[in-house]
Amino acid sequence: MGKVVGIDLGTTNSLVAYVDEGRPVVIRDESGDALVPSVVSVGEDGTIFVGREAQRRLLTAPSRSVYSVKRFMGRGIEDVREDAGLLPFQVSGEAGGVVRIGVADREFTPPEISAFVLRELKHRAEEHFRKRGEFDFEVDRAVVTVPAYFNDAQRTATRDAGRLSGLEVLRIINEPTAASLAYGLDQRNRGTIAVYDLGGGTFDISILKVEDGVFQVLSTNGDTHLGGDDVDRLLVEIVLADLAGSASRGTGAPPDPAYVRGAGAAEGGPAKAEDRGAGAAEGGPAGAGGRGAGAAAVETIRRAVIQAKWDLSDVEDTEIRIEPSPAVPSGYQKRITRAEFERIIRPLVDRTLEPCRQALSDAGLQPKDIDEVVLVGGSTRIPLVRRLVEELFARTPHSELNPDEVVALGAAVQADILVSGRREMLLLDVTPLSLGIETMGGVVSKIILRNSTIPASGREMFTTGVDNQTGVDVHVLQGERELAADCRSLAHLHLRGIPPMVAGLPRIEVRFQIDANGILSVAARELRTGIEQAIEVKPSYGLTDQEVERMLIDSFEHAEADFEARLLIDARNEAESVIHATDKVLRRLDLDGTGAEVFEPGERERINAALTGLKFVMAGTSRQAIHDWTHALNNVTRHLAEVTMNQTVREALAGKNVKDV
Amino acid sequence: MTPDPIPLRSPSTLECRSCGAGAPVDEHFCPQCSRILALGRHGDYFSFLGLPRKLVIDANDLERRFRDLSRKFHPDYFYNASPTERLASLERSSYLNDAYRTLKNPVSRVEHLLAIEGLPSAKSEDPSTGSGHMAGKVPPSLLEEVFALNEELDEIRELRESGADPEKLRARLEKARAPIDAKRAEHEAQLQELSARWDGQAGAAAAEKRATLDALRERLLERNYINNLLATIEREAASVAGSAQPAAGSHG
Repeated sequence: MGKVVGIDLGTTNSLVAYVDEGRPVVIRDESGDALVPSVVSVGEDGTIFVGREAQRRLLTAPSRSVYSVKRFMGRGIEDVREDAGLLPFQVSGEAGGVVRIGVADREFTPPEISAFVLRELKHRAEEHFRKRGEFDFEVDRAVVTVPAYFNDAQRTATRDAGRLSGLEVLRIINEPTAASLAYGLDQRNRGTIAVYDLGGGTFDISILKVEDGVFQVLSTNGDTHLGGDDVDRLLVEIVLADLAGSASRGTGAPPDPAYVRGAGAAEGGPAKAEDRGAGAAEGGPAGAGGRGAGAAAVETIRRAVIQAKWDLSDVEDTEIRIEPSPAVPSGYQKRITRAEFERIIRPLVDRTLEPCRQALSDAGLQPKDIDEVVLVGGSTRIPLVRRLVEELFARTPHSELNPDEVVALGAAVQADILVSGRREMLLLDVTPLSLGIETMGGVVSKIILRNSTIPASGREMFTTGVDNQTGVDVHVLQGERELAADCRSLAHLHLRGIPPMVAGLPRIEVRFQIDANGILSVAARELRTGIEQAIEVKPSYGLTDQEVERMLIDSFEHAEADFEARLLIDARNEAESVIHATDKVLRRLDLDGTGAEVFEPGERERINAALTGLKFVMAGTSRQAIHDWTHALNNVTRHLAEVTMNQTVREALAGKNVKDV
Repeated sequence: MTPDPIPLRSPSTLECRSCGAGAPVDEHFCPQCSRILALGRHGDYFSFLGLPRKLVIDANDLERRFRDLSRKFHPDYFYNASPTERLASLERSSYLNDAYRTLKNPVSRVEHLLAIEGLPSAKSEDPSTGSGHMAGKVPPSLLEEVFALNEELDEIRELRESGADPEKLRARLEKARAPIDAKRAEHEAQLQELSARWDGQAGAAAAEKRATLDALRERLLERNYINNLLATIEREAASVAGSAQPAAGSHG
């Protein structure tokens, strides 16, 4: 059995953690960085880059790089069109189907992109365990977190991503709940906790009751489309409008409409850019408005505004500063105070308050009933967010644990609970949205209510409408609205093989089961005959099992190719170091003119032959040939190595340094 | 949500799918091999939680039972178990969650009791009560109040449409609401009293018990009706508030 980890698969950054001697720790890279940017980039030769390297490539190869893909998980093209328009990569898909992301000449679904990130985290954890000298360092299982407000399709997409990455997803758990678990470890307290989680792309509020180590979620609410990304976007739009405004002033032409998104800001407003270079007159960074040309500009601007946003968490005013570059030839500079920033983002932060009130009301509680408030997610570093949360609950929120890391820590704790059988803690979570089926007139009949503790089950009876009908279609939905059209379509079930009977006589019981992951499964039985019905499930915004299987096979093929590539690189590296060492000794002997004393008859010729042979195969891609010739060169240089070693020792004894050899 | 009563397939015993031994239907774990038992066809939330069929329940005790059983059944603790046990854990946990949710709320608790005692549901006797707020048969004990309220609501509606002062309409609505609120409080008291009576009738004759159950069911039906009336008042209040908004806006 391999290792188990907890993974926070975030919109902006992802992390991996594990439990070491009873305590959860996040795994960092050599530079101490725990965050792996959730960015994937496809190289010109098809190499997949993930994390920091992919993030760097957002500037150099924006059209080959993908970020914020979590926003697309389990969604259809009609849901994401607005987002897609502002992102530099191509997003497509059939109406009512899975979103597809075009990168270079390849197409990926969001779970495939997320699988690359998961694989990188798996790799990072394995490297960590290997370096610790652990014999069994393979990581094969993980608990992966999702926003509490994720619906069934979004959860399923996350589980699919896990499968595609080669990890067995032990459990999908909710981010705020995971965070409470991490906090609960240190403070063995009991009481009612509110977890406010504002991340890069999603917002969650969960109300929990903690008693005797049981973490029971009373209610949850949120918005899977609200986070730090939106803050960045507002600022990017302002900068874009400023740049377009100044560009049009420079050329006398009207601003490119594709470029100006906030018309109000384009009128000038408080913006006062200085040091505009002549480049601005050439039409501005959006250029012809092409995706490729504009993408680097947007990415450059995005980085600058993110830096300003971060600054404003610590200081009262700062500057959005963009150095002139090919992407933004004019450069850009603008002072921004915290007060201005807060005025801009206030509507976004206000959008988190209604879900908080709804969650309280669903839990049957008043703000004063909340004992502790916990802040999670990088966006809770924004002072305005802290202030509004504090006002709402009349409590100083907790932020002792790093808000970026706390979710991964909790996931690691849950992973440990699952595999170790430890029973001191138990998470009882809820389903965030009601589950229902479409009935006559497009009205939804609810089967499992929102905030039901999971696992949860429900049953519904169906019958036939005409004589000898052998199939029944059932439309499964999630949401709180009355009409099917206003709820989220999860799947169409097709019940088949109903025994032919008079209309209305069959009694088909459909059982809906939401498991501890918050994921639905369905079974049906005709009660008169006891026949278990076959159900065809066509997920509305998910991948079918067959699609996942096919992607899995593809990824195995790629994984094999990747593995081969890595071995080839290793072989080349080894060959190179042998060639280098041999060349160095030979050059030294030639310089000294001491070769004659050292070489045995024919030795020099044998070495030369092996060197030539190895250098020749190095140009090819046969790992075996490289390996064989490396071996050969090693063999023919053994005597030389011994002699030079002895010589080195003698020289060292004679007061010469080894480095001089 | 209270499910329909399900007849027990085998009234007293259950077969352990792990070792084949027989187990009493109220057991959660096999007395032979101590593995978790498949759920079978349970239908009684009280006995599932180890409670007598009584309506006055200590909320803390109920919560403790829920937590203790969660710790025994939860799928988290069956990760390495056989598929049979994992399924049993899933089913038993789901059932426990439903049982706790149902018994925690005093009204759904009564509804569940009525269901397992074989009475028709107090929710859906007349399908028309569900669709329209004023539809359905008016319970005789409420005739007077319903008549007065309907008259008052009609007048308020007319006044609102002809642009009367929203503040005055709000006051009238509040006044119209008072007797309904009083009725509801009265019903709460009656429900409590009947619940206590039921709890004291463990050894009583079947007819006596049935009379209490029938009375409980009547109260629930009336209560649903009262809630519908209150919802109607709320809706009208919202309309009044809504008609006040644009007026205030145009002056501002």
